[in-house]
Amino acid sequence: MEKFKVTFLPDQKTIEVEPDYTILQAALSAGISLNATCGGDGVCGRCKVILRKGKVVSRPTALLTPEEKKQAVYLACQTVIASDIEVEIPLETRLDEGFIEKIVLPSQLKGLPLEAEEIVLPQRQLPEVSLEDRPLVWKLYLKLNPPDKNNTTADVERLINATRKITNSNSVQISLQNIRGIASLLRDAQWQVTLGLTSCGQNLEILNIEPKDTTQRNFGFVFDIGTTTITGQLIDIAKKQVLGTKAVYNRQAVFGADVISRIIFAEKNDGLEKLYEAVVSCLNDIIRQLAVEHKIDLNDVFSAVCTGNTTMIHLLLRINPYYIRRQPYVPTVQFVPPLRVTEVGLRLNPRAMVFFVPGISSYVGGDVTSGVLATALDKQDTLGLLIDVGTNGEVALGNKDFLIATSASAGPAFEGSGVRSGMHSSQGAIQRFCLNRNAQIYFDTIGNTLPRGICGSGYIDVLAEFLRWGIIERDGRFKLLCNPHIRDNNGEKEYVIVSSDKTAVEKDIVICESDIENIKRAKAAIYAATSILLKKMSFSFKDLKKIFIAGGFGTSLDIRNAITIGLLPDLPVEVFEFVGNTAIAGASAMLLSQRQFERAKRIAENMAYLELSDEPIYMDEYMAALFFPHTDLERFPSFGH
Amino acid sequence: MAIEQLKECWQTKINTVTIGATAEQGGSRLHTVTVGGQTGLPFLSAEAEIPYKPQIAFEIWDILPLDWPEDLMRVYGGCLANPLEWAEKCVEDFNAGLLCIRLQGAHPENENRTPEQEAHFIQQLLRQIKVPIIILGCGDDEKDNAVLCACAEAAKGERCLIGSASSNNYKTLVASCIADGHNVIAQSPIDINIAKQLNILITDIGLSADRIVMDPTVGALGYGLEYAYSIMERARLAAFSGDKMMAMPFICMIGQEAWRSKEARASQQDFPTWGEATARGIIWEATTAVSFLQAGADILVMRHPQAIEKVRQYIELFNI
Repeated sequence: MEKFKVTFLPDQKTIEVEPDYTILQAALSAGISLNATCGGDGVCGRCKVILRKGKVVSRPTALLTPEEKKQAVYLACQTVIASDIEVEIPLETRLDEGFIEKIVLPSQLKGLPLEAEEIVLPQRQLPEVSLEDRPLVWKLYLKLNPPDKNNTTADVERLINATRKITNSNSVQISLQNIRGIASLLRDAQWQVTLGLTSCGQNLEILNIEPKDTTQRNFGFVFDIGTTTITGQLIDIAKKQVLGTKAVYNRQAVFGADVISRIIFAEKNDGLEKLYEAVVSCLNDIIRQLAVEHKIDLNDVFSAVCTGNTTMIHLLLRINPYYIRRQPYVPTVQFVPPLRVTEVGLRLNPRAMVFFVPGISSYVGGDVTSGVLATALDKQDTLGLLIDVGTNGEVALGNKDFLIATSASAGPAFEGSGVRSGMHSSQGAIQRFCLNRNAQIYFDTIGNTLPRGICGSGYIDVLAEFLRWGIIERDGRFKLLCNPHIRDNNGEKEYVIVSSDKTAVEKDIVICESDIENIKRAKAAIYAATSILLKKMSFSFKDLKKIFIAGGFGTSLDIRNAITIGLLPDLPVEVFEFVGNTAIAGASAMLLSQRQFERAKRIAENMAYLELSDEPIYMDEYMAALFFPHTDLERFPSFGH
Repeated sequence: MAIEQLKECWQTKINTVTIGATAEQGGSRLHTVTVGGQTGLPFLSAEAEIPYKPQIAFEIWDILPLDWPEDLMRVYGGCLANPLEWAEKCVEDFNAGLLCIRLQGAHPENENRTPEQEAHFIQQLLRQIKVPIIILGCGDDEKDNAVLCACAEAAKGERCLIGSASSNNYKTLVASCIADGHNVIAQSPIDINIAKQLNILITDIGLSADRIVMDPTVGALGYGLEYAYSIMERARLAAFSGDKMMAMPFICMIGQEAWRSKEARASQQDFPTWGEATARGIIWEATTAVSFLQAGADILVMRHPQAIEKVRQYIELFNI
C-alpha cells in the first residue's frame, strides 16, 4: 500500500505513515510529543503546526485565525496527510522535555543511571484469560453491511447495533469526535473497521475506530510507580505476551528521597508541577524506549495500568497530597476512575485510557492491591503474608476471609539506592554472592556479564556471608582482623568486592559500613512492621503457612540468607516464595482482564489498614531489630547453625 | 476473710556477678561481693527471691579530685591527695566493702599517667587494701585501652569489675578481662537497645554473661532521673520476661551525677533559702541513690560517706 513520508522540522525526523494518518498521529509515531491536551478532539487548539511542503486535508476549525490560516498553520489532530509532507513544529506546540536535562542528583544518588534500563524480572507466565473475559481495552473487528435502499440505518447506529449484537451490551457510547469522522472512515475502509473498546460499568465505550482489521495491533503498558524506582512493562495484549520491562529511578528523588519529603516539596510553589513533570517524564521515557526497541507504533497503544503508592499516584495526577501526611492521614482519592491518557500526560494514542489500581490507605497503595491479586493471597484457605520490600515497605496479612495491610518506611537500600555500589536488578548486577573459607569471592551477575554493581538480592547475600564468616559484627561493623579486602576510604572502612579492572564500570565495587547501616535499617523496618501486624492480629510467625516476598531486588532471592540478616522471620524455607515485582504482575493481569480489575477493587475494598505510627511498640520493635539478625536471638534459633 | 496476695512470677532471674577473689579463689581479697540473682522487682521480697543486697562502692580517684565541691572534699580530710590513704580511710573509717577506683590521672588532659604507672598504683592498692575493687578508666578511649589492659594484667586473678566498655570501644577491654579473669562494665547511653546489643557483642567475643554488669548511664535527681529510671525498669521487665541478654545487674554512677548538680554544690550564701549546703548535697546524693535502688540498681557508686550511710540504713530498713 502507498505510504507517505512526513518530515518534522526542526528535528529533521522523517517517518513513513499510512495515508489516513493525521499529523498528530504521525508525530507520535515519530516519537515527537505535541501539545494536545484535548487528546486530538480538535477542541483545545494547542497542536498548531506549520505546513512547509506537501498536501493535507484539513477538517474545518474555528480555532485558527485567518492570519494563521494564511501562514499555513494547521491543527495537527485535524489534518490528514495526503502526500509526502514537511511540517514545522513551533516551540509552543512542542511539549517541553528540557526538564530532564536540568536535574541534578543529590549526593546519595550520584552515579545512578537516570535513563531507563532493561530490567530482568523472575520468569512468570501471564495468566490465562477466559473467553468471556476481556482486556481493559480490547479490539473488535466488524464487517458491516453497507447501506442500500432497503437498509438506510445511519452510520453510527449501524456501527453500534453491530457492536451490541456481538458484545451483548445494552448501551454503547461514542464520542462526538468519532461520530464526526465516521462517515468517510467507514466508506474508505469499505465498511470493515476495528473498534477500540472499553467497558464502563454496564456501558461499552468506543474509544477509537480504525480501518481494516487491526485486532492484532493492541498494546498496553503497565507501570509500578515506586518512590525510588519506576518500572514499566510493554505488553502485547492480542498475543498476551510481555515484550519488555524497563526500570528507571524516579526523578522525583531530586526533590526528596521519601514520600514525606515529596509531599512537603509539593506544598511549595510549583512543587506539585515539578514533581508531576519528573514522574511523567520517567513514564514517557520508558514508553518511548520500549516502543522503539520492540518496534511498536505508539498509536497502537490504547491502555495503561498504573499502580504505586498512594502519594505517587496523587503526584502523577497533580493532586495535592497535603492531607496524606496530616492526621487522620486521608488521601484525596483511592479509587481513581479510568482517565483519558491526555489528562494524565502519557504519550500513547491520544484516545487511550489509563487505569489505576485502587489503593487501600494513604500509606498502602495500589501496589499492594496488585501484589495481593498476583499472589492470590485473597484466595488462600490458610494464613498467608505478602512482604513487599520497597522504599515504603508494605506488608499484607490474610486469606480468603480477611485482609489487613500496613506499611513502614524502609528506605531505598534494597532497590540499590543510597548504597555505594547499588543498582537495579538490571544487567551486570551482582545478584548472588558467596565466600569460601579463604575469603575467595564467587558471584553471579544478571546476564552473566562483567559486574556493574550490586542489587538488593546481592546485598542480602553479601551481608549474610559476612556474618557467617565473621567479617562483620552483629551490629554491622567490620571486625578489625587484618582483612586484605578491607581498606580505609576517608575514615570509613569498606570491603572491596570486585576491583575496578574486573568490572564494567571502571571503579571498585565496594560495600562500606554506611551501606550496611542503611540495609540494616531497611530490614529492621520491614521486620518490625511484619512482627507488629501479626501481633495486632494475635498471630505469631508460626501461624503463617505461606509468605510471599515481593520487590524489585533481583531475579531470585536466597531465602536462608534473607533470614540470616533478619529481613525474614526464621521459618522453614518451604514457607517462603520469592515472587518478584508483584505490583507489575498484578497490574498486567488487570490490563488483560476486566475480571481481575474488578477483583482488585474488591481486594482494596475489603482490606483493612493498620497505621504503624499509632503503635507505640513500633519504635521498640524497630530498635530491637537493628542488629543482625535481631537483638532477640530466640526469634532466630537457626542463626549460627 | 484474708485477701489473697497475688504474686507475679517471672521466667528469668538476673545473673549473679561476683567481684573479688579470696585466696582460695586465686586472689588476695578477704571477702567477695556478689550482686544479682533476684527473681523479681526490687522491694517485692514477698513475691521474689532477692538473695543479695545492693552494694555501695566508695568512689576513689588516683589524683586529687578535680570538680568535687569543698564540702565533699572536707569529709575525707587530708587524705585525698594520697589515694592509698584515701582507700584505707574508706575501709577503716567508713566500713567500705567495695571500692571504685577512677583512674582520672591517666587522662591526657590531666596528668597523662602511663599504663605502667597506673598498673603499679593498682598493684600497690591491692596489696594494701583487701576489699574487692572496681576499676574505671579516664574516659579517653585510646588511653583507656592501654591503661585498663595494663591494670587488668596487674590485677590478674583478683576478679575486679573493670569499665567501661561501650559499643564503640569494647573489644580490647573485654579481651583483657577474659584473659585476666575480670568482670566488665558495659556502658550504654540511656538506651535499652544499645545496652542489649552491647551485651550480645561482648558475649559474642567470649566473655560469659555472668561477668557483665550494665551501666545504663543515669542522671541525678532533677537531671533526667526519670528517664534513666524508666530505661532501667524496661530493661528489667524485659529480663524477667525471658530476655537473657538483658539479665545483667546494674551499676549506677550516683556520686558522679549527684555532685554535678547545682543543688548539691551551691553554697548557702548564693541560695539562702536552700538551706545548709553540706546537708543538701548529702540528701541529693542519697535521694538519687534510693531512687535508682527502686529502679533495680545492684551497685551504687557513691561519694559522700554520710549519704552512703543513709542509703545503707534504707537498704536495711526495707530488708531488700
